[in-house]
Amino acid sequence: MSSETKFARVGIVDDDKIFRYGFRKLTEIKGLFNEILEFSNGKEAIDYLKDPNNSNHLPDALFVDINMPIMDGWEFNDAFGEIKSQLPKSITLYNISSSIDIEDISRAKKNPLVADYLLKPLDENYLAEIAGNLQGSGDQVNYN
Amino acid sequence: MTLTDGHTFDGESLSYIAHLIDNKDIGIWEYHNQSKELKWSKGFYNMLGYSPGEIECSNNYFFDHLLYYQDKDAFIKATYSPKHDGPRVAHIRLLTKNQGYQWFESTTHRRETGNGNVMYGFLTNINAIKLAHAKSAESELQALEIGRIAKIGLWEIDSRSMELKFSPEVYDIFELSNHIKLSVPEAIEFFLPQYRPLLEDAVNQALTLCKPYDIEVEFRTAKNNIIWVKCRAVPVLDEHGRCIILRGTFQDIDNIKRRGLTLQSSINLLDDQNKRLQNFAYIVSHNLRSHAGNLKFMVDLFEESDLQEDRTEIFQHIKTISQSLSSTMSHLEEIVRMQAEVSKGTKLVEFQKIYDNVTLALQNNIEASHAEIHVNFNEAPAINYVPAYLESILQNFLTNAIKYKHPNRHPVIHIATYKSGNNIYLVFDDNGLGIDLDRYGDQLFGMYKTFHQNSDSKGIGLFMTRNQIEALGGTINVESTVNIGTKFTVKLV
Repeated sequence: MSSETKFARVGIVDDDKIFRYGFRKLTEIKGLFNEILEFSNGKEAIDYLKDPNNSNHLPDALFVDINMPIMDGWEFNDAFGEIKSQLPKSITLYNISSSIDIEDISRAKKNPLVADYLLKPLDENYLAEIAGNLQGSGDQVNYN
Repeated sequence: MTLTDGHTFDGESLSYIAHLIDNKDIGIWEYHNQSKELKWSKGFYNMLGYSPGEIECSNNYFFDHLLYYQDKDAFIKATYSPKHDGPRVAHIRLLTKNQGYQWFESTTHRRETGNGNVMYGFLTNINAIKLAHAKSAESELQALEIGRIAKIGLWEIDSRSMELKFSPEVYDIFELSNHIKLSVPEAIEFFLPQYRPLLEDAVNQALTLCKPYDIEVEFRTAKNNIIWVKCRAVPVLDEHGRCIILRGTFQDIDNIKRRGLTLQSSINLLDDQNKRLQNFAYIVSHNLRSHAGNLKFMVDLFEESDLQEDRTEIFQHIKTISQSLSSTMSHLEEIVRMQAEVSKGTKLVEFQKIYDNVTLALQNNIEASHAEIHVNFNEAPAINYVPAYLESILQNFLTNAIKYKHPNRHPVIHIATYKSGNNIYLVFDDNGLGIDLDRYGDQLFGMYKTFHQNSDSKGIGLFMTRNQIEALGGTINVESTVNIGTKFTVKLV
């Protein structure tokens, strides 16, 4: 097993171009993830996951913004729940938002599909922690 | 030998009866008209607290020392009138030895004897009953007084005769100075027409099904004042459970009701404004937070990055954020300005003039999109409105129709006004992309809500439009079919 496969592949789902750029750049500088997939709304991400051509190229984790046009984060969570069992690997789902609305936060945290709700701007250390956990689980997935 | 052998008693039984009577609290007197002889029984003395012989047995003594002077007339009437079918019973006060004046019931009878006319009578102490009566009369009086002060009238309907009775307060509320008798249907005529069936039903159900009611309705008084009144009724039942009397209260609640109604509409208005402000605050905080968050993100990256080309790109993003921040600020200013514009008031504006201004400003967009616009302001050419609002509303609709045009066809837009009753409507119809109302209906007029992937959708237009329309008391309605088009119907005033 090469050292590269240890690093996780993650997807960022956000309509905010600048945030996507920042996410990519930051994780690049910190060397957190092996590969970043970018989607500008929920529908793009769902379409990607559903496409059988991508079954060997699915992310280990998804960071999904709440406020998006076309398909927002809540709708994505629901759509993801429906296809989750048919996916060839398990994907950890994170919601991200700049909303500090307590209702939004508890709605995301109550959803068993969602591993956590991350507030923007993102905490670098927490992101590194997530990256560390994914590396462990990434190995398991490869042996399955 | 029995006591009731014929109608006379023999000597022995008569004295036995007298003995019985003497030991009851009954006083007997007897007066011979011819001989002027007066007799009082032992019970008569006992009743007053004396022993026989302790006081003088005479008419003079009775009238001067025992009978309360105000009860003289009543006693004389009951004593001397029975031959003319007058009252035989009088309630009188007599002075007792130790307990002051007490109430007695006096019953008088006559009989003819061989020796002439004899009057006799019975006296019984009714002080306790009388006092209880006095007490209840007092509380009845108090009830009336309460009714008068609280402006609550009392009324009742006799279920058999359907006779309707009012207390004076009901007449006061009716503003009928002459207390004429009204029938039930006549009384119902005083209520405003829309409430009459409700009231008729309530009365009928109370009379037939013994259902009480409590309703608040509008009422027109004899002096033509329209007031809110509260009508409550409770059926009084007989031993078979049928309603014999429907009894109720009638209350003028006009002040309370009107205050309540204005209060409710103020509450609704405040509620709306509150929701709008909350939405506004939420949006502002969300947008400013996301811009500020991005700015910090980029500045941090700028510091951490060593590559010149990365730094150049990051700086480009910082510039974009700076622009977004100032455009968010300008949106906020626009909203504040829009709220202030209302205070400048309305004036008569012509739709055509406003439309010409708007199309002039959007000329480039209209030409570039090859939009075909049909206008018809003939039915309602002008309106009293805030000019800046009308311009903004038309501009938003037109901008949206062009921005969200269908990719396969040129925009065709219909704009028309019409009158309905006292209201003026504006209808705006396009053949553009349409909006999935099932999905986005509830968010359509929210701030920064965008439903299409256009890079220039800002999600502020419809939010502003709705605010302007509602600030002037109008409403906005939308019908839309994806790929067919969108139709906005606005009740302006």
